[in-house]
Amino acid sequence: MTVDVLPTAVDLDGIAEQVWVAFLDGGNELVIHSGQSDDSSELSASVGIVGTYDGHVVVSCTEAASRDVASALFAMPADEVTEDEVGDALGELANVLGGNVKSMLPAPSTMSLPIVAKTQHQHFPGTTEVCRTMVTWRGNPFNVALLVSRNN
Amino acid sequence: MKILVADDSRVMRQIVIRTLRQADFGDHEIIEAPDGAAAFETVGAEKPDLVLSDWNMPGMTGIELLRALRAGGNEVPFGFITSESSEEMAKMATDAGALFLIVKPFTADIFREQLGSLLG
Repeated sequence: MTVDVLPTAVDLDGIAEQVWVAFLDGGNELVIHSGQSDDSSELSASVGIVGTYDGHVVVSCTEAASRDVASALFAMPADEVTEDEVGDALGELANVLGGNVKSMLPAPSTMSLPIVAKTQHQHFPGTTEVCRTMVTWRGNPFNVALLVSRNN
Repeated sequence: MKILVADDSRVMRQIVIRTLRQADFGDHEIIEAPDGAAAFETVGAEKPDLVLSDWNMPGMTGIELLRALRAGGNEVPFGFITSESSEEMAKMATDAGALFLIVKPFTADIFREQLGSLLG
C-alpha cells in the first residue's frame, strides 16, 4: 500500500523539541538542526511501526549523551547511572518520539516495544529514510530519523 | 488516595510520579507495577483508588488490563498515560471505560487538568 502523506523533517523537529522540553531540557540549551545528522553515535534506540505504515523511528547518540539522558530522566548523577538505566531511558526516549510520530502516520498500525543497541552502525534492511533531524542538548548531538519499508 | 502507576519502563514510572508531585498530588500514596499482569494483581491486592497505566506493555497491555478489570467487575477509575494517541485508541479507551488518555510528553499542568477533579 502506498502512503501518500508522510511526516517531514519539520514535523520531526517539532516532536523532538516537545519531547526534550517536557522531559529533558532542565534549563540546558536545546538546538534543533532540521534535516541534519551526526556520525558519532555509539548507541541507538528504535521502535518498529507495523500496519498501514511499515517502518521505524530511531534515535541515536554517543554513550556520554545517553548517560546524560538517563541522568536527567532518573534525576541522578550521570556517573551513577547503570547500563540498565541507560537502556531504559534511551528506550523510553525512542518510545515517546515514536509514539508521537506514529500519530502522524496513516492508521491503523501498531508500535513495538523499544529496542536499544550498542552499535555505531545499526541497520534496518529494506528501509529508506523519510526524514531526519538532529538535536543538540548539553553539547551532545542526538539523531532522530523516520524510516519506511521499501514495500510500503 | 492510593494511585497505581503501571508502566514497563522504570524511568517513565519515576517521571509520572515526579510529575504527580509537581502537580501538587504528592500527598497521595503511590504504588507501582512493571507491567499489565502485575498491575492486575496489584489492583486486586492493594485496591487503589486510581490506576494510571501505560498502553504498550509486554504481556498484558494497558487496554487488556482495563478490559480484564472491567470483565471481573472492578470499576476502579482508570486513565492511560501513553506515547501513542489516535482517534482509534481514544475510542477503544473510552469504550473500555477509561476516564482519560494523557499523551507523553506531558506536563504538570496537563496532570492538574486531567486529574484535578479526581484527586482534589
